[in-house]
Amino acid sequence: MSTLKSNLLVSDVMMSLDRAPVIGETVIFKEALEEMVSKHLGIACIVNAQNKLLGILTDGDVRRMLLRVQKPFSAFFVDDALEHAVQSPLTIAPSDTLVHAVHLMDEKHIWDLPVVDATGVLVSLLHLHPAVEALLGIED
Amino acid sequence: MGKKILEVGYGSVEKVKIGDRLPLVFIGGPCAIENREHAFMMAEEIGKICRRVGISWIYKSCFDKDCRSSPDSFHGIGMHEGLCVLADIRDEFGIPVISDFSDPAWGAPTGEVCDMVQVPAYLCRQTSMLRAAAQTGRPIHLKKGQFMSPWNMKNSVRKIEAAGNHQVLLADRGTFFGYNMLVNDMTSFPIMAATGYPVCFDATHSIQLPTSMGNISGGQREFIPHLVRAAVACGVNALFMETHNDPDNALSDANTVLDLKYLENILGQAKDVHEMRLELLDKYGEDNVHPEK
Repeated sequence: MSTLKSNLLVSDVMMSLDRAPVIGETVIFKEALEEMVSKHLGIACIVNAQNKLLGILTDGDVRRMLLRVQKPFSAFFVDDALEHAVQSPLTIAPSDTLVHAVHLMDEKHIWDLPVVDATGVLVSLLHLHPAVEALLGIED
Repeated sequence: MGKKILEVGYGSVEKVKIGDRLPLVFIGGPCAIENREHAFMMAEEIGKICRRVGISWIYKSCFDKDCRSSPDSFHGIGMHEGLCVLADIRDEFGIPVISDFSDPAWGAPTGEVCDMVQVPAYLCRQTSMLRAAAQTGRPIHLKKGQFMSPWNMKNSVRKIEAAGNHQVLLADRGTFFGYNMLVNDMTSFPIMAATGYPVCFDATHSIQLPTSMGNISGGQREFIPHLVRAAVACGVNALFMETHNDPDNALSDANTVLDLKYLENILGQAKDVHEMRLELLDKYGEDNVHPEK
């Protein structure tokens, strides 16, 4: 039986940044989707040259856009991803507790949280599955 | 429309600014440099008309016409001689000049003389051409290929930017509608302007019927005024029209160039429509119908 590890912090579980889908601010929508596909996550974090988080694009955003956008796919694909991104996304700090992060994800019905420092720079990404496994004490 | 402002003109010639809410700019002249005397005469005559209308302009004429339909058609007077003529027109009339170039190796010499360089529509996505244009350091007149969607022009813009140049004027010169036929999609202007760069309407090539006459192109000049009014009302920053004093005997694009005798009328209308659009924006506010939000 596992025991709930309620003292864990976001920084204990968050993934290394090279595993997270992260794109620059001028990357087009089609390339954002490719980045999400290649990293096997339903989120892309959009950052500026200083790595400050400008917005996120998620699978949910893409689904909603597919039902809403009227222009041809070829035009949609070449839009800057940032144009269709959530530009003030929910984020979390490395020092926040993992329990708080998971509660937040449950409350907002989301699977991932960008982890930013006090200046808004993206430092990592927290995905729900490893967070839950860590809380339950399940080893990889 | 695009908010970036281009300044065309180096040295002692008039500096012509294009973009945002600035006055409409005219780019025009004979399609090809036929000979020195004709080029000078056209610069003189168009200059008089532009002064009467009150519109800033850039003299356009090309030294090489590489996209002619027939090997027997006039190909141009050649780069060296053509650039000498353009340099002398700059000096004589104090106006900026533009020519296109069709070979990446011609980019540098073209940019040394011309205040603005033009990338032909058929070559608008060729990386080597776009890099050569960018490396001139001059503002670039980039025409949307007849086969290109307006949104895909962003890729060409990105190629220019990647080569270090951030001065682009994007033009619509018509889009293929089946064979030997062009149409203008007026939505191309706001779509290309979304790049942030100013946009231009090429009226005389838009009424072209590409290679419709076997080994040369035809054209329907009667539609020029209609399309000019529509495009300017749409918000273009510049208007491009090839102009000739004797179209029937023009050595290039005889079926599309605008007869000089009509230029003042059309430029006057274009200037008025452009000013009226700005007045309407002041009166009613900027366009605010947004998609899907």
